[in-house]
Amino acid sequence: MVAFLIRRSSALVLTLVAASFLVFAVTQFSPTNVARETLGAYALPEQVNLLYSKLQLGDPLVVRYVRWAEVLLGVRKDPLDNPALGLHVEEPHGGRFFGNFGYSTLFRVPVNEIIWDRLGNTAILAGIAFAIIVPLSMLLGILAGMQPDSFVDRTLSVASITMTSMPEYAIGVILAALFAVWLKVLPGTSPLATGTGWPLPSQYVLPVAVLVLYDSGYVARMVRASMIDVLGRPFVRTAILKGLPRRRVILRHALRNAMIAPFTVILLQVNWLIGGVVVTETVFAYPGFGRMLLQASLFGDISLIEAATLIALVIAIGTQLLSDVGYWLLDPQVRG
Amino acid sequence: MSTEKENPNIRLLKEELAAGRINRRQFLRNAILVGMAAPAAYAFVGEPLDGGFARRAAAAMPNQLPRGGALRLGTRVKSLSDPATYSWGGYDSNVTRQVCEYLTLTDRDNITHPYLLEKWEASPDLKTWTLSIRNNVKWHNGEDFTADDVLWNLKRLTDPAVGSSFIGLVEDFLLKKVPNGTDKAGKPQTKLVWWDANAIEKIDSHTIRLNGKTPQVAIPEYLFHYPALMLYPGDKGVFGVGSQGTGAFTMTEYQIGKIASVKSIKNYWGATVQSAWGGGPYLDEIQFIDLGDDMATGISAMASHQVAGLVVTDPSQAPALQGMPFLQLYKVGSAQCAVLRFHVDLKPWSDPRVRMAMRLGLDNASFIEAATRGLGTLGQDCHVAPVLPDYGKVPDIDRNIAKAKQLLSEAGLPKGFDTELAVPADIGWIVAQCQAAVEQWKAIGARVKLNIMPGAEYWNVWTKVPFGCTIWYHRPLGVMLLNLAYRTGVPWNESGYSNPEFDQLLNQAGGILDPNKRAVVMGKLERILQSNGPMAQPVFAEAFTFMDKKVMGFSMHPTNYVFGNRLALATV
Repeated sequence: MVAFLIRRSSALVLTLVAASFLVFAVTQFSPTNVARETLGAYALPEQVNLLYSKLQLGDPLVVRYVRWAEVLLGVRKDPLDNPALGLHVEEPHGGRFFGNFGYSTLFRVPVNEIIWDRLGNTAILAGIAFAIIVPLSMLLGILAGMQPDSFVDRTLSVASITMTSMPEYAIGVILAALFAVWLKVLPGTSPLATGTGWPLPSQYVLPVAVLVLYDSGYVARMVRASMIDVLGRPFVRTAILKGLPRRRVILRHALRNAMIAPFTVILLQVNWLIGGVVVTETVFAYPGFGRMLLQASLFGDISLIEAATLIALVIAIGTQLLSDVGYWLLDPQVRG
Repeated sequence: MSTEKENPNIRLLKEELAAGRINRRQFLRNAILVGMAAPAAYAFVGEPLDGGFARRAAAAMPNQLPRGGALRLGTRVKSLSDPATYSWGGYDSNVTRQVCEYLTLTDRDNITHPYLLEKWEASPDLKTWTLSIRNNVKWHNGEDFTADDVLWNLKRLTDPAVGSSFIGLVEDFLLKKVPNGTDKAGKPQTKLVWWDANAIEKIDSHTIRLNGKTPQVAIPEYLFHYPALMLYPGDKGVFGVGSQGTGAFTMTEYQIGKIASVKSIKNYWGATVQSAWGGGPYLDEIQFIDLGDDMATGISAMASHQVAGLVVTDPSQAPALQGMPFLQLYKVGSAQCAVLRFHVDLKPWSDPRVRMAMRLGLDNASFIEAATRGLGTLGQDCHVAPVLPDYGKVPDIDRNIAKAKQLLSEAGLPKGFDTELAVPADIGWIVAQCQAAVEQWKAIGARVKLNIMPGAEYWNVWTKVPFGCTIWYHRPLGVMLLNLAYRTGVPWNESGYSNPEFDQLLNQAGGILDPNKRAVVMGKLERILQSNGPMAQPVFAEAFTFMDKKVMGFSMHPTNYVFGNRLALATV
């Protein structure tokens, strides 16, 4: 087990290095010019070139990558943190420490000041959504899978598929039109501002509702399929023939086996909930991680993109690791 | 004041007014422009001093505005730290203008008033402008606002190293090009410097003189150009939380992309000034909340009262907002438009026949409904709106498919041609305009592929794309727009248009005081653009917005400017 974990961790580090270099390479070839973005469309070309050289954007790709890595590992100070440049970069912790993601040219603050805040916001949203999606979709999936092709199953399946096939944007706008504009019981946007007359908890309701509606259908279908498969197995038939009540068969014997496959699927939803909810965040103006990454990508803010990519990768690989371990714990056949 | 020798220009205007050749509004505008004291000018025509502001405002609200409250407005919160290089107009300058002020103010009727200035005087040849600064203006820290501050700001605004768009306005008036070595390829380089060491000179503690090399009639309007904020020299040109200013508010919170808050100060120097812009502040706080690019977010936020108004609205939001009974519509005619512009250095746009064919291919009147949903006025492909005081009457350009096809054949494109139009996605009505235009151009054989890109990406390439659609905001004078967009070599000349005859006429127009005579020259300029110019421009968008009915003191400005010191919130 320990060897397994060590192997996985070193694979994680290698993946992070490779991915971070790839991101650097890709932004190199993108058409955005960070200096132009910073100064705006109407700045004179001379001034853009001046800022371009100050930000050292003209250096070769490898040199810039190594510089960024050195800043991240705490080997050197961020080169932008130099009063002589006149960029007004303020690094409050002194500039040389492990985990220094650098300076965001889009938000004009150190990356660490913005990224964890935004990640926290999305984590809250994801956490609430996750806490609802898992029990809800499991319940729906089990109910549907217990009696395949019954009225209950048909209804739940149609509802699940309808919800999953509607894009998040459509669900979001429909819910906003219904509850915010027509019924006026919920706020139409969720900027997490306290002075707007809507209490903070109410600002979470609609974004969470969109995520729950969109995702539960999908997971419920997975649980249903797994349930049907397990209920068809010989050992279940044996238990029923032995005379055990159906409920006990399902709850004690079938359920644990039926959860193995959906377990992986559920953990993959965590990935999506962290990075893929950019559409929902945009519709409700929610200050989250996905929306920040979108803005950074359009702007060309390399420090922010790199930091966000690395964090997203750690989360993705981390959840995979969790699912592998969980799989290993749940299914004795894997252990053997 | 009555013992001054009368400026011959003012005498000329009085004669014109008496003879009925100009109307009262044109007289007011131009007389104030060349230095007639505002009370005298208004008294001469029998109008109330603030141009009817008070009359309109009084009609909408009681005599004593209620104090207190926090006003939340939905907008975008852009980078605010370098006001001289602001490029977003209604977004960035609207926050900073609550804290810092301008030397002049152009109101919604395109009449310019002194603001931080007390008055200005122009020499009869319009080359020398003497600016008198008000005596009782104070910075928030109690220091006096003096000519030194004005000089420092004007120096920065005309410094190419700072890179303000103000340079494009005054280049002909205050600057000249001098050789500046060669670049790596050996090409000689030039740089811009003041044409004379005394181009901007300080006369005394409250007087600045602008000594220009050419006549220029729009100097007061230029001083209201949105980057021309008067900043505190000690802040070194950087604007942020706690920056000094002369305005009625101070900025207390700022997170780019999220929120900017300003709180009112106790001793605003302009609180007791009787004018089109003075008074207040009545509110405790104004919060500018970023709602993002999406049009639907603004509607949702207004519906659930999270914001009491929107700073900038798009015609696509109008139907939904009109359906909310607690909102009030405010609108005014403006010169805002989206030019479909061709880059004249690239094929096929280098041929003026192709450009003319594209103009002939559009039915301009149809765009009022198609693009602006009825909230627009007809454009004549010349970028000068009929609402502007110096508009010269020119004929409409009607759709003529046969003539367009003929021009294309002459240009060597008998089978039509394929091209791509780049347009930013962030303003809905512009996208609608492009979609309608693309459909109409099919009839003349121009097969245009629409490339809708995110706003940030477009602004990176807007001066380089062969064919793009760019929004131009309102300016109070047509001559300002032409100077910014079509003069050879200026920073915002996105099409690369370079026409010496046009530049000459433009210089001429900028020195003519009489509105009738100037309209003649403007007419010539407009006609050049209509036949040879680098763009098609079918429609002008009216400036409009919605505010909650409990917001008082608001009136729509053509450039979406918000004057926070005049706003109040009804308590019931």
